[in-house]
Amino acid sequence: MNIRPELTNHQIGRSVPRLEGPEKVSGRASYVHNLKLPGMLYAKIFRSTVAHGRILSIDVSAARMMEGVEHVFTGEDVKTIVPNPYFGPAFHDQPVLAIDKVHFVGEPVAVVLARDPYVAAEAAQLITAEYEELPAVFDEVEAMHSKAVVHEELKPAGTFPDLKHLAGRKDTNIALDYHLRRGDPVAGFAQAVHVFEHEFRTQQVMHVPLEPMVTLAEPHHNTIIIHTASQSPSFVRIEIARLLGWPENRVQVKVPHLGGGFGAKLYIKLEALAACAALLAGAPVKVMLPMEEQFYTITKHASTFRIKSGVDHEGRLLARHCEVYWNGGAFADIGPRVTQKSGFTAPGPYDIDNVSIDSYALYTNRPPAGALRGFGIPQLVWAYESHTDIIAHELGIDPIEFRRRNILRDDRPQATGTPMTDAAVDAVLEKIAECMQWESGSRRKSDDPTKRFGRGMAIGFKASISPTTSVAVVNVAADGSVVLQLSTVDMGQGSDTAMAQIVAEILEVAAEDVRIVHPDTDVTPYDMATLGSRSTFHMGHAVRLAAEDAKRKLEELAHAMGFTDHAVWQPRDLFRRKYGMQAGNVIGVGTFIPEYRSPDPENGQSDKVTPFWMIGGTGVELEVDVETGHFRILRMINVADLGTPLNPRIVETQLSGASMMQLGFTMFEEMRLDAGQVTNASLADYKIPGIQDVPDAIENEIVAAHQSNGPFGAKGVGETATFGVSPAIANALFDAVGVRLTQLPLTPEAVFMAMRAKEGAASGV
Amino acid sequence: MRGFELVRPATLEEAIRLLDTDDPTVRPLSGGTAIMQMMKTGIFKPSRLVSLSSLAGDHSAITLDDKGFLSIGAMTTLAAVEHSQVVLQHAPLLPKVMKRLANVRVRNAATVGGALAHGDPHMDLPPVLAALDAEVIAQGPGGQRRIPVADLYAGYFETVLQRGEIIASVSVPPRNGCNSVYRKTTTRTADDWPALGVATSLGRGEGVLQHVRLFASAATERMTRLGSAEAHLRGNRPEAKLLEEAGRIAAQEVEVIDDAHGSAAYKVALVAVQVRRALHEALQQGSEQ
Amino acid sequence: MVCNDMNDKAAVVRRIRFRLNGRQREAQVASHENLVDLLVRLDLFGARESCGQGLCGCCTVLVDDIAVSGCLTLAQLVDGCEVHTVEGLAEKGKLDFVQQAFIDEGAFQCGFCTPGFVMMTHELLKRIPEPSEPEIREYLSGNLCRCAAYPEIIRAVQTAARNRPDPAGVAGEHA
Repeated sequence: MNIRPELTNHQIGRSVPRLEGPEKVSGRASYVHNLKLPGMLYAKIFRSTVAHGRILSIDVSAARMMEGVEHVFTGEDVKTIVPNPYFGPAFHDQPVLAIDKVHFVGEPVAVVLARDPYVAAEAAQLITAEYEELPAVFDEVEAMHSKAVVHEELKPAGTFPDLKHLAGRKDTNIALDYHLRRGDPVAGFAQAVHVFEHEFRTQQVMHVPLEPMVTLAEPHHNTIIIHTASQSPSFVRIEIARLLGWPENRVQVKVPHLGGGFGAKLYIKLEALAACAALLAGAPVKVMLPMEEQFYTITKHASTFRIKSGVDHEGRLLARHCEVYWNGGAFADIGPRVTQKSGFTAPGPYDIDNVSIDSYALYTNRPPAGALRGFGIPQLVWAYESHTDIIAHELGIDPIEFRRRNILRDDRPQATGTPMTDAAVDAVLEKIAECMQWESGSRRKSDDPTKRFGRGMAIGFKASISPTTSVAVVNVAADGSVVLQLSTVDMGQGSDTAMAQIVAEILEVAAEDVRIVHPDTDVTPYDMATLGSRSTFHMGHAVRLAAEDAKRKLEELAHAMGFTDHAVWQPRDLFRRKYGMQAGNVIGVGTFIPEYRSPDPENGQSDKVTPFWMIGGTGVELEVDVETGHFRILRMINVADLGTPLNPRIVETQLSGASMMQLGFTMFEEMRLDAGQVTNASLADYKIPGIQDVPDAIENEIVAAHQSNGPFGAKGVGETATFGVSPAIANALFDAVGVRLTQLPLTPEAVFMAMRAKEGAASGV
Repeated sequence: MRGFELVRPATLEEAIRLLDTDDPTVRPLSGGTAIMQMMKTGIFKPSRLVSLSSLAGDHSAITLDDKGFLSIGAMTTLAAVEHSQVVLQHAPLLPKVMKRLANVRVRNAATVGGALAHGDPHMDLPPVLAALDAEVIAQGPGGQRRIPVADLYAGYFETVLQRGEIIASVSVPPRNGCNSVYRKTTTRTADDWPALGVATSLGRGEGVLQHVRLFASAATERMTRLGSAEAHLRGNRPEAKLLEEAGRIAAQEVEVIDDAHGSAAYKVALVAVQVRRALHEALQQGSEQ
Repeated sequence: MVCNDMNDKAAVVRRIRFRLNGRQREAQVASHENLVDLLVRLDLFGARESCGQGLCGCCTVLVDDIAVSGCLTLAQLVDGCEVHTVEGLAEKGKLDFVQQAFIDEGAFQCGFCTPGFVMMTHELLKRIPEPSEPEIREYLSGNLCRCAAYPEIIRAVQTAARNRPDPAGVAGEHA
């Protein structure tokens, strides 16, 4: 077919500007944040002030009496419409509003509804609650054996088959223990000439989307519409329907633009509360968190990683043992999946015959943790690449040379047994070496005696979350214009544009002419969620299949309408001929689920644990002020294997954006807790990177690669540049001033104190 | 934060009258950037805010008298100070400091009087003006008085201003050949509030330091004059060793606090380094002129 | 700010008059409402409250041609003032040179902070017609972009400076 003979440019690989650009720069893009409905009530949440306690009483009378307050609800009210009001993707552990006990400071206990948000806020301050305080646990390692138990009984959601064995387990904080065994680690360590063992820790941080979480639920006769800033509309629909005991078709979930997500707006967050409050009140209810309350809603796992390696006399890794503890906070959210899906990459992109991994998802009395850009991978790479650097230095081998001897190449199997196909670990490593002129040892020297130059690098990898399904619909109108219906959420990553490019490539139109229908579960088909850099691959395939389906149907129609194989026609000619006027549609449907084989529950082995691998690395050059510990990043180089980029420019923005976000988590971001209370829940005291924190130079390199089973050779990219940032900086600091930091964030004070300790040790003080 | 009265008196006298009360929920509002933050976080619940915005016309002039004293009206925005040619010429440190003080929007709204009266030890302006020997002219029910900026602070978020007293203007004396420097150290992001601010003003004569002013802020509960370090410097030749010693003495005399910006132990070390660097920088400036 | 007198004392709720994107408006405003609250009531959503503390810049608006944080500005105090929001920049749907530069350089991802950056860039280019990179960084240091499109934003400001139609005309644009 030759629909648009004049259009010779390929749509794939073209840096199409974001389709929604004009709306965004003019302030007219729609976000749930903007949405107002007649009769709408604003919700204000009253939250727990203790980390762990039994609720003795909740007094809402003063709030209820306040002028302008329409309703005040507690967990008991919620139970009148949802008898078992617990939700969550992995465990049904999260009550809509607290019932019987509270599990962390900040847990929602009651909600006030009023037409004026200021009234709701004021009334919430009049609520009081009494608790019988229980012993609390905050540290992930202590949680393994703590007497303080966060949940009396584990309640797996049943969504994931590999959690079912935990049902009914009592008196434990271990939400999931994941184990992998490959080869014979005991024998491996016995053969080793050198054994190295280290512990690394990461701090709890938060996503900080600038559009704070927001949901507006709109009850109707026997349906409910949920407008929500969510990355997973299909999941929200299923989970709300389950809670209410309704069929899916009575719950409609709509998602306009998202003001950032990064994993914060995944699965189910405010939706259950908004839905229950709206149904109880019989009015639309908007739950809109102020910045502060996001810190009580979802965070990134703090972690402890104990890693041990055995090396032979040639610097070859013979055995590795990984023990990872994930601080999941009070509700499991998706933490158990982080524990497993990221856990199996804990040994790093290295070819090691003998590996053991024990990875634990722990409940603690902290705000809950879930997915955050990288899904656990940045915590792991931080540890294994710092560890790798230490080993190389101790053995007197150049860190890049040491990696060359040990990386996974040529389809060799990774720890799970799945081969590293289309995984350009070596190309990423070599590109970093090249960009940094590593071998020629180009080192800047400062004239200032208080400054020291250092350089460091790190590489990491990630599997895709599988098996997951995506469905797309391509709708060709009678004038030939094309609409794409999909439930992928464009939260800034540019998926609308990339998906339009795929449709455009197949249907031979311009990407700019494809219209995207944003997620609306009444119209857009199922998609597992927008997470884990899965959309380009999974939804990309579904969209490709839908467009191909539409194209095939158009060609069939052309045949039926008497066009010969060589005829030149436009779709509108077909419709006109068939219906006698501008009428009708052609609808193409595409469904995609990649190949996947569950790992053996005994040893974690599988020959197809992921449909694709993401490889990323970072090189850093920095300068340390030896008198204060301050350091400035002069140059940051992000290198990625992302297959063939669909839209090079958007891809580059994703790389530098991801690396900057991880730079914040590396250098200064940290949730500070005092007896479970977050003490810096605001942008005044939780500082995120600003424009002055951007390194003097950021370079983004895409290695030449092709994902052979990906749509047009592409694969995901949203997280790849987060992998190497933290260890690259720590390794560069070591290179500069000879101190090794093992706990994030790498603050000037931490650098300074480590230097002072080293001096003290050197001078025998 | 609902239900408060927002009044806008037209004259300073009327404002003073409205503020002459024991009620701590009555406060003046100038640029509002700090008060609004306190209201939003629930730290401050006003019953009445006395907006001084109508006074801007009469109290936002920057003038120079014949003795070389610079007068800055209290309602002058920080941005106006930043861009004033007169200020640039007679107190060049002020516009320089502004570039990294909060952000453009805050500087557009916040006023000199507000920035001084707020009493937050993390503000950049107090140590700078103190090092410049500036005085505030405070007007109250009992009339007018002059208070050196160096003596303005009684404690954490606490000034010596009396009930009903408002800062009307700031007076900055001529530089008399002194060189002044402010060093701001942040420990988290670049745009953060300071973990430590060090301001100094140095004047040399006959090869020795004659005029010495040295202040620390942010790391301390209130802006602090580093008197012992000043005394150590005064009358001596500004050699590297002396500056180093001054830094060490400053670190010993200053009472620093632990907070989210860093431990006290770390900040003590920072004081020693940044005082020395500030002194160096001021001397360097002097020798370049 | 040059504003009208506000003489009566019982000032909890008050009727204010101001110009919004060139048009005269009146509104009944309570003392505690901030400028973003007021704009939202008038169905303008480009200025957004995010951090609520004047630190992120998502709520940047121009009051009497000066950029301020809408979330820290009491709405009653814009009585008699001239307020400009991002919605007033495009004329008859045609994006202005700053907006276009942000698109050309791909200087945003989620777009939530973008109106604030666009408004700040306007003020920056008014003050410094051809800013250097350090000047751009300095000026925009009070605007946060969590997607961290900062390198692209710096390029967008440079492009806008180059494509600025007529400096005199722009200076008078909001007059």
